Amino acid sequence: MIEIKHKAYLFDATRCIDCRACMVACSVENSIPMDKTRIWVAGVGVKGEFPNLDRATMVYHCMHCEHPDCMSACPVGAYHKRDDGPVIYNPDVCIGCRYCMNACPFGVPHFDYDKGIIAGAFIDKCTFCPQRVDNGLEPACVATCPTDALEYGEREDMIKAAHARIAAHPERYIDHVYGEFENGGTSYLILSHVPFSELGLPAIPEKPVNEVSEKVMEMTIPFAIGWGAVLTAITAGIALYDKKKDTQKPAELDEKVEAPK
Amino acid sequence: MKLNLTVHPRFRIGILPMILLALMGIAFVIAMIRYTFGIGPITDLSNSYPWGFWISFDLFTGVAISSGGFLMAGTVYILRIKEFQPLLRPSVLTAFLGYIMVAVALLVDLGHPERIWYMMIHMNGTSVLLEIGICVMSYLTVLAIEFAPVVFEGIKWQKFAHLIHKFIMPFVILGVVLSTLHQSSLGSLLLIQPTKLHPLWWTPFLPIMFFTSAITIGLGMIILESSLSSRYFQRGLEVHLLEKLAKVIPIVLAVYAFLKFGELAWAGELGYLFTSGVMSILFWAEILIGVVTPFILFSIKKVRQSANGLLTGAIILLLGMILNRFNVSWFAVKHPDPLFYLPSFMSNVHYFPTLPEVLVSVGIFSAGIMAFGLAAKYLPVFENEEHSHETAVTPTPAIGD
Repeated sequence: MIEIKHKAYLFDATRCIDCRACMVACSVENSIPMDKTRIWVAGVGVKGEFPNLDRATMVYHCMHCEHPDCMSACPVGAYHKRDDGPVIYNPDVCIGCRYCMNACPFGVPHFDYDKGIIAGAFIDKCTFCPQRVDNGLEPACVATCPTDALEYGEREDMIKAAHARIAAHPERYIDHVYGEFENGGTSYLILSHVPFSELGLPAIPEKPVNEVSEKVMEMTIPFAIGWGAVLTAITAGIALYDKKKDTQKPAELDEKVEAPK
Repeated sequence: MKLNLTVHPRFRIGILPMILLALMGIAFVIAMIRYTFGIGPITDLSNSYPWGFWISFDLFTGVAISSGGFLMAGTVYILRIKEFQPLLRPSVLTAFLGYIMVAVALLVDLGHPERIWYMMIHMNGTSVLLEIGICVMSYLTVLAIEFAPVVFEGIKWQKFAHLIHKFIMPFVILGVVLSTLHQSSLGSLLLIQPTKLHPLWWTPFLPIMFFTSAITIGLGMIILESSLSSRYFQRGLEVHLLEKLAKVIPIVLAVYAFLKFGELAWAGELGYLFTSGVMSILFWAEILIGVVTPFILFSIKKVRQSANGLLTGAIILLLGMILNRFNVSWFAVKHPDPLFYLPSFMSNVHYFPTLPEVLVSVGIFSAGIMAFGLAAKYLPVFENEEHSHETAVTPTPAIGD
């Protein structure tokens, strides 16, 4: 796979202590109202029997896919993928169709269901903090994480670091970096000691989810032109044939139903 | 035998129009509440279920049942099978109203209905929804042009009716192309959900399946709409024409069944037919009601030649096919389980449409029926009856060529 030079997050579930400081930092940084959030910390609870207890928490936000399905699906192009990683949503053109929410295999974009037409109901999701990143800072959630469970850097370096960590402690980790290849690669990489499905992460194939639909869309305009040409030819052919038949056997005319004039 | 055209349709201030008006009023009030307070308060839609009843019923079903318009326009104008002329205008009217209903319903469902025209200036070429939006908008225009002669004849502007009739062919061809595109694209809409839609339904051939089934739905709708309007307006029923349409249905259904099962076999997914619990049952229900039963019914000559048989067959076919649209767009779609990561206030794992949600669709549908009734009463929609053969009221075998 081609290496993509840009930024990415790395989340290590073994380091997360469920303090939820990232949620607070995100809300403060992006002025998110108290009843909304762009980042969720979810615990799977305590598992196992005493004394062999285990627990896991997962920090979940936009995966910033390399081939974003929200971007592929949006009819008005409200999403775009920046060269340095972030998938950005532009509310100024959004028509509120919510197709991006259907398209996203991770269920990330969420919608203002409680706002009317005047207040304006928009999609909301993690922005990768471009206002910080562009000024050389780390995203708010990463900067605030006390245990380095969330890290940020070049995607290439993050993948290398993740594999190095697995190699150093093979007993601690599942030998897989979630997001390295999922959905054609994401800019949010996850390391875990419990199966990824237990963290609520869906099993996504390596091919981008939007592959088939984009291929079908590519065929649309050629198909439309071809089909239009075929129909025109059929129309002309039948019209000619009818004309010929009518001139040859004018007697048949009476049997035909005339078009309304 | 001359048809008695002086019979007045029973469409005065009957009980049906009153009920329809009441339903429209209720829907209007609910829509106003939705525009003021948002989609959340009146629906069960959530971040886990962004699309629900409105999309399944108004968009998927609404577009599918409007496919009769392009089928009849293609048959009469392109294939020049003129004997179907009497069915043309009612079908085009059904399609025209159907698409207007789709558009109105989408204006309720969209978060920013006032921005619907953004689709024309901010185009994203990879979006299936864009294709559907553009096709539906263009096709509405085409249908308006195809139906305009009826309006002009109704207000006695024969010259304009004549003029449009003269230049109708390019619009008919455009209409068939647009219909082919968006009927199949409705299937493509689900292509981006391979991880969410059950494998019994998700296939790269969804667009072809949708187009094939849309043909049967269109034919079924023509039969249903002719049967019902003939009963309501006490006019003749073109059984000999409907019989011919009904004859085509089993052929298309056979192709459809072949595609469906062939694809499952090809993808090695036949096992899901029996191992997916509720999904398997839904799949078989849709096949038995929408494909097998109408295939048998419409294969029997006696059924095709009786008004009741045609109506029954069409209703069963439509129920099954509508179940298919609901399956694909709702029942078989599983969004990722948000219990783990979404706080409960943002998610709702179990979606079930609320009463207001359904009432909006019912109101819009009532408006469609009302408009059909008014058009049938005041415009020459069924005008061709006087010269559509004396056989119009009596079921006789095929005539002409």
